[in-house]
Amino acid sequence: MPKVQSINQNLQPDTLPNFRNMGVTLRTVLLVNGMALLMTLAEASSWTDIAQRMTDISALLQPVLLSNLLLLFVLNPLLTRLPYWQGAAVVLLLTGGVTLAIYHMGGELYAPIAEYGNFHATRNALLGSAIAALLLAYFRLRASALSPALQQSRLQALHARIRPHFLFNSINAVLGIVRADPKRAETALEDMSDLFRMAMAHSGDLVPVRHEVALARQYLALEQLRLGERLQVHWHMEDLPEDALLPPLMLQPLLENAVYHGIEPLTDGGLIDIRLYRSGKEMHLEVYNPCQEQGSHHAGNKIALTNIRERLALQFDIEARYTVESGKDFYRVHIMLPYLKEEN
Amino acid sequence: MTVVELPLTVFVVDDEPPARNRIKELLSDCSEQLPLEIVGEAGNGREALAKLSEVHADVVLMDIRMPQMDGIELAQHLNKLPKPPVVIFTTAYDSYAIKAFELHAIDYLLKPIRLGRLFDALSHARTAVPLRTEELQELTPEPRKNLSIHERGKIHLIPIQDVLYLRAELKYVTVRTAQHEYLIEEPLTALEKEFALRFIRIHRNCLVAKDEIEGFEKVADDEEGESHWTVKLKGLDEMLPISRRQQFIVKEFS
Repeated sequence: MPKVQSINQNLQPDTLPNFRNMGVTLRTVLLVNGMALLMTLAEASSWTDIAQRMTDISALLQPVLLSNLLLLFVLNPLLTRLPYWQGAAVVLLLTGGVTLAIYHMGGELYAPIAEYGNFHATRNALLGSAIAALLLAYFRLRASALSPALQQSRLQALHARIRPHFLFNSINAVLGIVRADPKRAETALEDMSDLFRMAMAHSGDLVPVRHEVALARQYLALEQLRLGERLQVHWHMEDLPEDALLPPLMLQPLLENAVYHGIEPLTDGGLIDIRLYRSGKEMHLEVYNPCQEQGSHHAGNKIALTNIRERLALQFDIEARYTVESGKDFYRVHIMLPYLKEEN
Repeated sequence: MTVVELPLTVFVVDDEPPARNRIKELLSDCSEQLPLEIVGEAGNGREALAKLSEVHADVVLMDIRMPQMDGIELAQHLNKLPKPPVVIFTTAYDSYAIKAFELHAIDYLLKPIRLGRLFDALSHARTAVPLRTEELQELTPEPRKNLSIHERGKIHLIPIQDVLYLRAELKYVTVRTAQHEYLIEEPLTALEKEFALRFIRIHRNCLVAKDEIEGFEKVADDEEGESHWTVKLKGLDEMLPISRRQQFIVKEFS
């Protein structure tokens, strides 16, 4: 099997955890408090002593923990850009620093007895960093443990972008015209090759919107070959900035869905309406297609849409929105994402 | 005296013109060794039914995924013809159907179709027997969109959403729409299973469309005070009796 480049670039084992993720935050809080509890258990002399010691520890621990989580949340975009080891080092330094800072700000609260002096402060900072290191190691192990599943989901995603139905039908259509119209067959094969090259490429980086449009047009030309006049397409791109960037293969899967669910089941076909425009700081993609009554389709069609949704969530988090409006005889997908420009 | 074998008559159904074109080209390649004649082609199920009522085909090469009526439903309707053709299904990719075909050991052709495979399938077709309607229904979880009858030399489709009730009478099942009554030869239990979403059994011999129930009425049987429930369907004056066993329906749908 050919080696497939990752699509979910945020999910490789060798990346820091996403500190904006609810799950990561929750795990951190639970694990840190768990460690604190173990420590008090080791030191305590009675059951009531445990509670007393836990309260003492919490006075420093909770502010440090929460401030750290907050800082990491804020710094997450910067951290993810660093190579893993640098990012990890920053996290450790940050944790130590925050511990020190809070310890000093707390003043009397944390250092009632003067003779502890510098040792106490440094010890706390070191402990903070050490715990952070343990947690990072845990998250790294966890990610690599999950990586077979990730591998699978990557393959699935690839599968979703090249629907076998489309592949085999298109090859069949090309074979159907190759004797009668070799020139057209050539163009079709070239279109197909561009499309698959794109689908198999590493797709982490944003691409200019005109590439996406060109690709979508090639795709539609292939479908036109099979469906003839049943497939009508309207493009609306009057308010589309030339320099806009999009995640790759965002438009084509939407169109493939529109063709598969919208046009193919209709004897007389129908019209796909595509709108690309900018509104303020946002880019909008809209795909409208007619559709027959709901639910008459086999399962497994949602993969492409789920894939797009996940990629949007990974790449833009809450800054991108994905809405679907479906009526009795139509289906409309609306994607909104931040307007990013090409740098010249 | 030698018997001259008539050429095999072949009909092609596929909603994509290039796909039909490809099959016709391959058929003409085959015809050099296997006498055959292409007797027609159609782009959808209805067109195929209309044309195949006029002209007989020994073999129909048929795509599975087509708009409006899939190949499996079309094959079931074609079985109503006096001399049903042998159907060879073609598909580019439909994992569900392929699994079903493998399971039932039914031959099919994968698109793009290879000349050799087509040749083999056609060579076997002359001696093959058309699949039975029940066998075909087992291939798909989707119910047919139409029932069909063969009437005055034509296959007449009855859209399932027009059917108000189905009632078993001796050998036949009466299919009642708002305007007409038809007789079909299919067991009521099979129909109940296939169209479980639309119909509910109200009596040992009767299924009614759930969405068409207008109301219920209690009718006295005799002067002793014995009575039973009946159901009234939209657009029909007839009151259909509900058996004692199925009385829970009254509660469920009123």
